[in-house]
Amino acid sequence: MSRATQPDVLRLTLPLSTEEARTLHLGDMALLDGEVTVTAGFVTHERVIAALEKGEELPLDLHGQAVFHMGGSCRQENGKWLPNYVNPTTSTRFDAFMPTIIRRLRLTSVGGKGGMGAECVEAMRETGCVYFSMPGGAAPLLSAGAVERLETGWDDLIEQFRLARYRLESFGPVTVAIDAHGNSMYRNLQQQAAGRLPDILRELEAARSTPKPVRPGDDDAPLS
Amino acid sequence: MAITYQVIRQAAHDLYGWSLKKVPDDTQKALAEAEKNETGEASRKTLQFMQAAARAAETQDRHACSDAGFPTYFVKIGTKLTLDGDIRRAFVDGFADLVETVEPPILKFITHPLTLERSYEGKDMPILSFDVIDGADYMEITCSPKALGSGRWADLKVFSYPKIAEIEAYFMDCVLKAGSQHCPPVIIGMGIGGSFDHAAKMAKLATLRKIGTKHSDPMIAAMEERLLAAVNKTGFGPMGTGGDTTALAVHVDYAHGHGFVPVAVCFNCWINRRTALRIDNDGKVTRLE
Repeated sequence: MSRATQPDVLRLTLPLSTEEARTLHLGDMALLDGEVTVTAGFVTHERVIAALEKGEELPLDLHGQAVFHMGGSCRQENGKWLPNYVNPTTSTRFDAFMPTIIRRLRLTSVGGKGGMGAECVEAMRETGCVYFSMPGGAAPLLSAGAVERLETGWDDLIEQFRLARYRLESFGPVTVAIDAHGNSMYRNLQQQAAGRLPDILRELEAARSTPKPVRPGDDDAPLS
Repeated sequence: MAITYQVIRQAAHDLYGWSLKKVPDDTQKALAEAEKNETGEASRKTLQFMQAAARAAETQDRHACSDAGFPTYFVKIGTKLTLDGDIRRAFVDGFADLVETVEPPILKFITHPLTLERSYEGKDMPILSFDVIDGADYMEITCSPKALGSGRWADLKVFSYPKIAEIEAYFMDCVLKAGSQHCPPVIIGMGIGGSFDHAAKMAKLATLRKIGTKHSDPMIAAMEERLLAAVNKTGFGPMGTGGDTTALAVHVDYAHGHGFVPVAVCFNCWINRRTALRIDNDGKVTRLE
């Protein structure tokens, strides 16, 4: 782990070790190098679970690795698969599968957007795994850090559903939004918003009962 | 003269393609305003990153998001124009042309709702919605591709004789349920009244209104203003980084109904995909945005 060119941004190489994952804290920002396995497929997650239950080998070795919820499209140039774009998808879609996948494969990092549920957070705490959040809808900038697609597995699936191993270089910045100690930025923000709601509703009530100041002639003003 | 199948086919193709590579001007301006007012440092950085990504999409001719969503078109037909050819077919074919030619290619996002099978086409795809403009001899088409990230959090509830407080509390429930999942800062639309389906359509159309415009009814405009302030007090912030900017706008519309009051709430993510054009009866096409 080192500091990137910006002093407050870490430079991390994937896959992380469990020890490295445990040193990271909520809100840490990082640029990522190294290798990651990517998929955006619901069916892919079902298939990983089915394979684990049957004791079958996965087409790519995910043990101790980084798995990101991202969709991607690539083109072939001079024998290499170069990304047109990659972009995160919503991780909570896979909440039913991820606790098992994290525990069985001892993942050390997961990435995507929108975070993951409480059971995933608990699995990550047990195994020493962090969640990297990346902004959705910022494909042109994020894609610049996805250098090459190295290999894919389960090629019978459509492109964005395959398990795809990418090489990253200065990918991000990403933010540690769930740490390996059971802390989740998403849970914190939900609790904060729920705590603020009674006051917000009281303020809405007050705003409703306060008539807007009316100046003479306003009744005739054209409505915008 | 008449508006032909071919002109509409080309329009359906162009609108969808443009929408993938440009964040609307009003939205970029709203992101810049939000950055000025944002007090959270991580949130401010996220807003800066978003603006840089929006500029890169436009100047480098790249997709803002990898999720191209599915095509929805809102079509307003002037009552004095003449149509020549199969109009619904023109949208189906225009979208197929886009899939065939767009660079870089888009992924398979059209999903069968029961088998979850993916493809580039499907039943009722693109989603089309028609309305008329009395006395006009032109047509206006708005395209707003819808992706999973923000689409998933829309909600609708039917009330009987609700108080405004109940409607606003329900709106806030929807906001809290979505949290930061829908790629904030979002544009939120709410449709109140009419029928079940009309409330949903009003909510969607409300998200398409330009940021900075107010509803013409002062009572609704005041509701938009206080709800926007309320959403931004929740503290989810841009992409869930905390901070002051969870929504760029709240747009509300209403319709008279009959005692039961459907209330629909939906969200557009920060890239707020929306393009529009006008086709005159002589076939002249003017891009509106």
